[in-house]
Parts: sequence; C-alpha cells; structure tokens
Amino acid sequence: MTSKIDITDLSLYRAMAEELNAHPETFTVLGEADMVLALVMRRDEGSDFAVRIRFEGLRCEAVDEVDASEAPLADYFLDGPLAKWQAMFDDIVANGAASGRQTINSLALLATNAGDVRLRGDDPMGVDKFSRFNQTLQEYLDGAARVAVTA
Amino acid sequence: MTVTEPVPTSREHRSYDSLPSASPLGAPLDWKWLKGAKSEWGVRPKIGPRGLTMLDIATGSYGEVPEHPPHRSMAPRGADVDPDTPDMGYILNNKTDVWAENVTELYEEAVARQWSATRDIPWAELPELPDDIEHAMCQVCTTLTEVEMIAADLPAKWMWRMNHDFLEAKMFLCTQIMDEARHAEVFRKRALANGGGLLMSRGSSEGLLRTILEAKTYHQATALMHLLGEGFILDIFRMGELIAPSPVEKRMFRMAMQDEARHVAYGTMHIRYAIEHDPDIAEEIHEALDHGEVVLTQFGTNQDFGSALAVLLGGGVDFIEDRGFPLQAEMQRKQFTSYLARCERAGISRLHRTKLPLDVLGIDPATVLAN
Repeated sequence: MTSKIDITDLSLYRAMAEELNAHPETFTVLGEADMVLALVMRRDEGSDFAVRIRFEGLRCEAVDEVDASEAPLADYFLDGPLAKWQAMFDDIVANGAASGRQTINSLALLATNAGDVRLRGDDPMGVDKFSRFNQTLQEYLDGAARVAVTA
Repeated sequence: MTVTEPVPTSREHRSYDSLPSASPLGAPLDWKWLKGAKSEWGVRPKIGPRGLTMLDIATGSYGEVPEHPPHRSMAPRGADVDPDTPDMGYILNNKTDVWAENVTELYEEAVARQWSATRDIPWAELPELPDDIEHAMCQVCTTLTEVEMIAADLPAKWMWRMNHDFLEAKMFLCTQIMDEARHAEVFRKRALANGGGLLMSRGSSEGLLRTILEAKTYHQATALMHLLGEGFILDIFRMGELIAPSPVEKRMFRMAMQDEARHVAYGTMHIRYAIEHDPDIAEEIHEALDHGEVVLTQFGTNQDFGSALAVLLGGGVDFIEDRGFPLQAEMQRKQFTSYLARCERAGISRLHRTKLPLDVLGIDPATVLAN
C-alpha cells in the first residue's frame, strides 16, 4: 500500500463497523458491549474531525460524524492530534493489528498532554467503559487493516 | 427495558376454593402461594434482543431495592415473606452498605464477558524468550497469582453477611470471585507454560493482603480492595501491553484488564453511593486508606515485583537503568495519579490527606484533577 489510509473519511469507520458485524467469530468471545464513544482528531488549522460510535450487544450499531464539541456527550471520548491518530491507523494497516505502543490502551495510558491521544469524559461510569470494553474497541479499530478504504 | 405486558385473560377468574386442606401425609395446606399471594402478580417483562436480563426483570416492585430491608432471611426480594422466617445474621442491612448504581449492569456485563484461561489464550504461540525476560515474566506472574485471590477471598468473607435483598450486589461479587479465580489461573499457567516457573514471594505482598482482608467494615474493605488494591492492579494490567514480550501475554493482560475494570467500577460507584447517602462514612474510609496507602507503597516498591516489571519495561536486564527504571517510575506516577483520580470520582478526595509521597513520585495534584 502506497497511500495512507484517510482517517477523516466517515466511510472508513462505517466499513470497520460492517467488518466487525460481518465477522462475529472474531470478537464474540469478548462478549456483549454497550457503549458510545467518540474519536476526536484535532487539526492544527481547526475544523477537527470527530466520529461517534455506538456498540450494542454484539454489534457496532451506529457510526456518525459529529461536531467535536458533542464528544463529551458520549460515555467517553479519545481526543488527540490527527497526526497521532494517523500513526495509530498506519500501524494497524501495516501490521494487521495495532502493535507495540500503538494500541488504543497504550496510547491513552502513556498520554501526558493534549499532544497525545487522551481518554476523556465527564461521567465516571462512562469513562470506566474504556477499560471494561477495551478489547472490543481494539478489535473494531484493528478492522481498519481489513477494509479497503484508502485515500 | 422494563415494559410490562398484560397477562393473558385465560389466567383470570379461576377459583381455588375446593382444594384439599391437607396433604396425603396429613400436613396442612393453606394454598397461600396460589390464592393468597400479596406479591405483585401479572409481571411480564419484555425480552430484549440479547435475552432476558436482570435489568429487564427489575420491573414494578421487583425493581425496588429497599434502603432498609425489613427481613433478615434468604427470602427472595419481592416474595411474600412469612413473619417467622429466621434471622440469618446479616449485618450489612442498609443499602448504603453494599449498593452501587451500576451493580446490576455490571453483573450482566460480567456474565456476558466471561472467558477461559484454557481456551482463549493462544498458549501454543508462546515464543522462546531470553532468559532474563522469561524470569521477569515468571516473577510478575508469581506476584500476580499471589495477590489476585484476595479479591475473591474478601467478598467471600463479607457476602454471607449481606442482606439478601441486595441480591444483585451479591451476584456481582460472585462474578468477581469467578474472575479472580481465572486471573489466578491464567497467571499461574503463564508462569509454568514456557519452561519457567513460580519465583519469589516475600512478606511485602502479604502486608497489603492482610490489611485488606482484616478491614473492620465492608466500606473499609471495599475501599482498600476495589479503590486501592484492584485499581493498582488494573493499572498494572493496562501496562501489560508495554511489558508483554509476546502477543500471548498481551492477550492475557488485556482480558484480565477488562474484568478488573468491572471490579473497580463497582467499588468506585459503591463508595460514591455510600458517601452520597451517608457522608459520615467518609471518615471511616479515609482512615482505612490512610493505612492502606502506606502498605500499598510498600507493595509497589516490592523489590521482586518492581525489578521484574522494570526488566520487562526496559526490554532486558541490560537496559534496566537506561530504560527500565525510568519507565517504571513513569508508570508508578501514572498508577498513583490514577488512584487519586479514582478517589475523586468516588467522592472521597485524598489530595490533601494522602499518605503517598506525592513529591517523591512527582505527582502534581492539578494533574490528578485533570484525569
């Protein structure tokens, strides 16, 4: 693959949802998950990209582009510079799944400031869901390696 | 979803007046269960797409958890309870003693997300590791095997003292016990699976475990176990991706992390619920954490566990001073910051009372509040 995956294209996230829903054997062992999260990708020049993703039971039920200001309405949101998100997705595409410190858990764990991908949220029960359903989210994100959406 | 549908009319207008008043053996029969029941009758919860959940059946009076249950028996909440049912000796008879707003949801989640340490970890893919890395992983797994069962022993110690009307809380704690059995299993298996073995166990771990187990009240116990101990271990599991030398260990830590997060979620919201409804409990919890933080610091600086973690973080003994110890210090700062942030969420701010050496750890209280 010569071109980077376009991570500000909503169709990528919808294709990842379809991928996940089409292959329940991959993640069913992880069990049901009920959570709404948002991924917020900050651009230096503004016009941030944000996508809200809803998991229900054993499916990813909804993927919608939202204004970044709506991200706090989700159970939790993951907020970071576009370049950091790009590096994460590029790693997923290159390795078939997130490797090393590019897993969403490691990125959030190692985050120290707004220059990193941080775990954020206003509701403590909502923020908990990041850890409780972490592998379901990781499986979803790893699906980027399997969908043919490139810029 | 708690929609109740009407009972079919075929069940109406039956008469039970001509039933026998004694059994064939002469025992009296009053048929109260059939014709005299005072409990809510006609409940028919709507079955959701994933089946019938505990949330679905928390409908009508069956969904009402009393603040102060009138009974001390094992009678199911919502049943008609004879006044002469025996007292089972429960001592946790206030809802604030055990409840958390998220406990029923957490129970369903736990049941839905069980996994098998035998089947769901790709043990056959364990690679041959350098000697120092294998030793370090085995030491970490030795310590984790040692500490995990405390989170099974402790609820087991208290559950039989919990009023049976708090059934959902007891059911959730049962799942926690199962989770911890699986954690003890998976870490023991990893220690033995790759040609290594179980390594050092010393008193510094036992001090923390004893403190948790001997807590005088359940509030103190849950603060020590869920907020402090399990919160600390949750962060170790989150760190697992950084210390795992192969995808096998990554999988092991990730799966355990999800379980542990449920336990911490219960403890955090239980403490929050208790303090919101009875602010006097806060001081009792503070006292426990004053002591708990001291022993946690001893545990966190355990030379065996700590140096093994540093070897894994650094990538081998040759890198322990350049990479291992600095990364470990960074991780410890995150662990303790995470604990203090968790206390904030639980409504028990420790920022101005903590016994943790914040200056030594390099923790800025403002950073805690931003977490």
